[in-house]
Formats: sequence, C-alpha cells, structure tokens
Amino acid sequence: MGITRRQLFSGAAKAGVPAAIAVTVGTDILRAGEPIPVPNAAVGLLYDATVCIGCKACVAACAEANDTPPDTRGDALHQAPSDLNDLTRNIIKLYKPEDGSAFSYVKRQCMHCLDPACAAGCPFQALHKDPESGVVNWSAEECIGCRYCTITCPYHIPRFQWVGFNPRVTKCELCSHRLAKGLKPGCTSVCPTGAVIFGPRTVLLREAKQRIQNSPERYYQNRVYGETDNGGTQVLYLSKVPFEKLGLPELGPESVPAKTLRWQRRFYQYFALPALLYAGLVQVIRRSLKGHEQEAHEREKQTGLRAQL
Amino acid sequence: MSTTAVNTDRNSDRWERNVPVFGFPVVNGFFLGLSALVLIALVLTGYRELAGLGPVSGMNDAFGWGIWKTFNVMVLTALGSGAFAVGIAAWVFRRKKLHVLMRMALLTSFLSYACGLLLLGIDAGRPWNFYWIVFPWRWNMHSPLAEVAICMSIYAMIPLAIENVPPILERLWYFDSRLRPSVQKIERGLHYFYPWIIAAAYLLPGMHQSSLGALMLLAGERVHPLWQTAWLPVLYLGAATFMSFGCVAGTTMLCCLVWKRTMDMDVLDEAARITSWLIFGWLGLRFFDILFRGALGTAFHFDRFAAVFWFEVVLVLAGGLMLLRSVRTHELQFMFLGYILSSAGGMVYRFSPTTLAFRPNPEALYFPATIEVLVSLGFISLGIIGFLIAVKRLAILPAPLHEWHDMASYFRFRRPYIRWTGYFKYGYFGEDEPDTASND
Repeated sequence: MGITRRQLFSGAAKAGVPAAIAVTVGTDILRAGEPIPVPNAAVGLLYDATVCIGCKACVAACAEANDTPPDTRGDALHQAPSDLNDLTRNIIKLYKPEDGSAFSYVKRQCMHCLDPACAAGCPFQALHKDPESGVVNWSAEECIGCRYCTITCPYHIPRFQWVGFNPRVTKCELCSHRLAKGLKPGCTSVCPTGAVIFGPRTVLLREAKQRIQNSPERYYQNRVYGETDNGGTQVLYLSKVPFEKLGLPELGPESVPAKTLRWQRRFYQYFALPALLYAGLVQVIRRSLKGHEQEAHEREKQTGLRAQL
Repeated sequence: MSTTAVNTDRNSDRWERNVPVFGFPVVNGFFLGLSALVLIALVLTGYRELAGLGPVSGMNDAFGWGIWKTFNVMVLTALGSGAFAVGIAAWVFRRKKLHVLMRMALLTSFLSYACGLLLLGIDAGRPWNFYWIVFPWRWNMHSPLAEVAICMSIYAMIPLAIENVPPILERLWYFDSRLRPSVQKIERGLHYFYPWIIAAAYLLPGMHQSSLGALMLLAGERVHPLWQTAWLPVLYLGAATFMSFGCVAGTTMLCCLVWKRTMDMDVLDEAARITSWLIFGWLGLRFFDILFRGALGTAFHFDRFAAVFWFEVVLVLAGGLMLLRSVRTHELQFMFLGYILSSAGGMVYRFSPTTLAFRPNPEALYFPATIEVLVSLGFISLGIIGFLIAVKRLAILPAPLHEWHDMASYFRFRRPYIRWTGYFKYGYFGEDEPDTASND
C-alpha cells in the first residue's frame, strides 16, 4: 500500500521538527570560547608606543600612499586633522595626563580584527576580511552607506564621508594595493624610529614578546594588546601607559560578534527554526481561516451584505 | 426572512463591518497642511541627495545614525506592527473580536513601513547599491542589519501589501459591475494562498522587529547597561506588540471621535485587556532582566540615563494601569490616555539604545538639524495623507451594521448622480433588498 499525500506531508513535518531543533541547538561552529582561526598569511602592524616620537611622518605617508588629498581643514594650511576622518586613515594622537605622569603617543588605524565586528554587521559584505592576508577591506560596489560599521566597530575606526552625493567609508586597508605590488604599507615605510613595523602576524607577535622579555619593566602589564583582545587583532600594540588611555578598550578575549550575536546566529542557522515556525503558523492559520470564512458567509446570508474578509 | 434579521441588527452598536468614512471631503485644511509638509520634505530630499548627509543633518562621526533611522524606522515601524501583533491575536490565538480591527492594523502597518523604508533609502549614503537585495549570495546572513533591511523590504512589499488588497478589490467590486467576475477570480486566488501569505506576514515582522533590537548588541558597552542586554531582541519585539496595539486601537478611537462613529466596547475592552497583559509582561521582563544583570543600581544614579529610564518606565506603567482601569470601568478617556502613554513610553524605549542611551567613544552630542526634522515630519505626513485618503475611499474603519446602511442612504439621497458606488443597492428603508440574499 502506497502512502497518501497527507501522510507524506505529515511525515516530513514530524521529521522536520527534531531536525530543525538539532540544527539550531547543536551547531558546532557557534560554541563559546572557541579560538578564532588566524588566516594563513595574516599580516599586520606592530606599533610600539614607547619608541614613537610623534613626528607624524606616517600620517603624511598614509595620505600619499592612498592618494587622498591632505586634510587641511583645520587651519587651511597644515595637514593637521584632529581625529580619523573621511580623508584620514591613520593618525598620531597624544595622551598627556594632567598630573604630569608618563605621556604617550598613539597611532590609530584599523586593527584588522580576526573577527571584525564591522564585517559581522555589514549587510552586503562591503566590509570583508580577506581570507588569505586577513586585511579588512571596503568595496564601494556593495556598500549602501548605512553607517552600521561606525556604530559596531569597538575601536571607532571606519569613518563616513558626510559631504557629497557619492560618500565613501574610509578606513585603513593596510595599503592592500601596495602589498599586491610587494611594497610595505605607507606608514611603515617612512617611520624613522621603527615604532611601527610591518610583517606576518606570527613574526610580529614573537618580536613583541621578545621586546617584553628584554625589558620587563618597560611595558604595561607586560602584555601585547591584540594577541587575544577582542578575539585577537592583526595590529598589535605595546605601550607603557594603560591601553585604555590610548583608546584601546579592554574587551576581553572573546570577540564582540561572538559575544553578542551568539543567539542571533544560532536562531538563523540554515534558517531551520524560522522555517519550522512558518510551517506551524500556516497550519494554525489555515484552521482559523476556515472557521472565520464559515462565520462570515453565514452572516452574509443573514444581512444580505457581502462578506468582508 | 432576511429582512427581519437586517432590521433587528440595525439597532445594534456591535462593530461588524468596515465602512468608509462618508460625508467628509478628503481635501481640507489639515490635508493641505500635510501636503505642504510633504512637498517641503521632497524638495529637501533632493537637496540631501546632492549635498550629502552632513549639510542636512546633525549626524557626525560619533552618532552615525540620526532620527531618520532611529525614529522613523526603529520607533514608527514599532507603532506600525499592528498587522503583526493584532493579526497574531486574531488569527493565531483566535481572538475573534479583533478581526474587525484587522483592516485598520494592516493599513497603519503598511503606511508606517512604506514611509520608513522610503526614508531608509534616503538615509542610506549609497542607496543605488540596494540592488544587492535580490542576490541572496551577497547577503550577510548573520548581520542583524541585513536581516532588518531584507526582511523589512520583503515584508512590506509582498505579504503586507497583499494583505491590503481586499479593501481595494471590494471597492472595485462596488465600483463597476463589469469588473465583478475578474475581482471574484482574484479573490479566489487570494483566498487560496491566504494562509501562506498571513503566516509570512507574522514570521517576517517577528524576525525583523527583534533584529532591530539585535542591531545594538554589536555596540556593546557603548549602550548604557540599563538597555544593553542579550534580551534586547525580545524586549524590542515586546515593545512593538503593545505599541502597535495602542496605535491600532488608539487610532480607531480617535477616528471614531473625529468622524462621530459609535464605539464597540466589546472590541475595545478586548484590545485593552490584551494590551495591558502585554505591557505588564514586558515590564516584568525588563525589570527582571535589569535585576539579574545587576544593573539596577545605575537606575538610581543622578544622570540623564536614569532620568530617561524612569521616564520610560513611568509612562508605560501609567499607561498599563489606565488601560486596566478602563477595562473595569469603561471610561473611554482612560483607555485612550492609556494607549497614548504606553505607546509613548514604548517609543522612548525603542529610541533610547541608539540615541538617548548611546555613549560613543569620543563624547559628542547629536541633535537633529532643522532640515532633518522637516524631512522626518514630511514622511510622517505622507503616511497620514495616505491614511486619510484610504479611510475615506476604502472600507477600513470598523462600524456597526447601521453605519453601512446610513452610508447607502447618504449616497442615495445626497449624491444621486453617483451610480457607481453600488453601496446604495440596499437603501436605508430596505426597499431595494431582495428576499433572498445573493453574493454578487
């Protein structure tokens, strides 16, 4: 005896419920505390704030390498932006406490996170992490200009161009166009003291730990910022003042997207749970619709007025 | 005999039919004022497209989102979730009395979503790239914003738009008897697919109204701890449910006052009762979430966050209590005020995480610029204009049976030259009524 269509559908539905729940609950990739894989050829920067002399040669070199006009909006003469902006991908800032204790420069640019929050939120993958080099790039073809990246980035890096009909998002892309030609990023090619150096992330990390070992009293907490912070970043920092003072918040070892979107990701995994909900809703509504139509038609007979559904 | 049944029902004030607002002109002073606001907004929108967002808005690097997203989309689509919340109560939980409010809910939802989406397109810096929405492999499936943008557009353009078709078909049916066969054909097709359409119209808003809350999860510590919680998606969805009940029932009450219609306390009580349950459930979840996260202490700091928090809680709580009272004592003024206050509290809640309780890294202030406010108002006016036209031309507002007959006699005697409405097929005195009712 063959099966009827009804049996086929109800059988499929009965199998679908546990399958959808299994997919939602048992998804492997979404477990907490799992280390984020580092791209094979991950490159990055190591910035040692104790070596930086604040000459801003990297700021000018960055503008030159990225072919952006110098930002002279401050005094109409000097390239002196006060913060990252639509013309500035890289900036040197000064932290100088009131009480006269140790001051420090800091170079701010994209951290190229291993699990970038900007890319996690970007609706059409305009911001995406290169699977090989791990550089977080922006592409004009996919960006809708929603500015969600400026909200999500915990380091407040991507900047939106507020003027003009064709705005762009500006952020450090580690001079991807220069890397492709075998050149170093603009900032590292001009630094006179070697405060910022370019290289594979593993090499930079080893170098940073070596520096800490060589002078154990020199660095804050004897720690490399970016080794595990925010799930790990490809730009690493060494400093003698607390990182928080330099605008690098203490985010913990788990990345922001992993920390906050776990349930969201689980719910939408393969769209299993929404599909299950949809099937259930259709069943319930079918039955209420049948009852409702019946009542409406009876009323239509009583009143002589056409039923409204 | 059908005539007897009709005559007894004419004295009942039970809402059972949706009847167009008749006897009032569409174009009046209020309407012209709204049209002027829309025109101003359209001109300013043209300027915005050329000049960019900076010159027209108060947005800056710290506050990347202004009122266009945070008020017109986040707050007003919550008010416009009636098709979702009232619909689920009526169709899924089978609160049959609410069926008569459904057309109101569907219309307000469609208008609020349509205006919100239009403004979303103006707010986007590079709107021409929205075409990626039709290429699913480009979607970032785990991004809350992608979920919102895609889901909202699909919802407003397909299930919600289709749900709003029956009143238009009905008008065509009365408009011209030659159209009746094709109208009936379309209606039959619509009924066949109705369960699938309605189910999509409940799943999709459930997804994107919660994802609107999930948007601010990624902002982490920058949202004040009174608001930042893993339950943000659920709380956003919950706020949308009671706010939209308030919007649907409150707007219906307001319309009844303005256009002098009778109110059906059975339906209004049912709506108020459900709304008060939703409000107290939501408040409970909000309170216990804050309590268990240990953030309750921050509510007693002397700062703007605590002030906004208490303002919101007091509004919602007062609204809920007034609704409870009105259900018991049938005092319409308390019911109306209850809807207004609870919806206002919900609006403050939905507005806070992105704006009032948002603390960006470099301390900066955001205050909407004049042009920004004008455009925002213009698109709200567009929705109101759409509403005014719709309720006066289509059968949207609920009314007792005698209202339909009043309308028929109104058109029969005041506009005898309008043959096409067909509404006056059955006159007030029932002299045209056939002995046996037919469906056509």
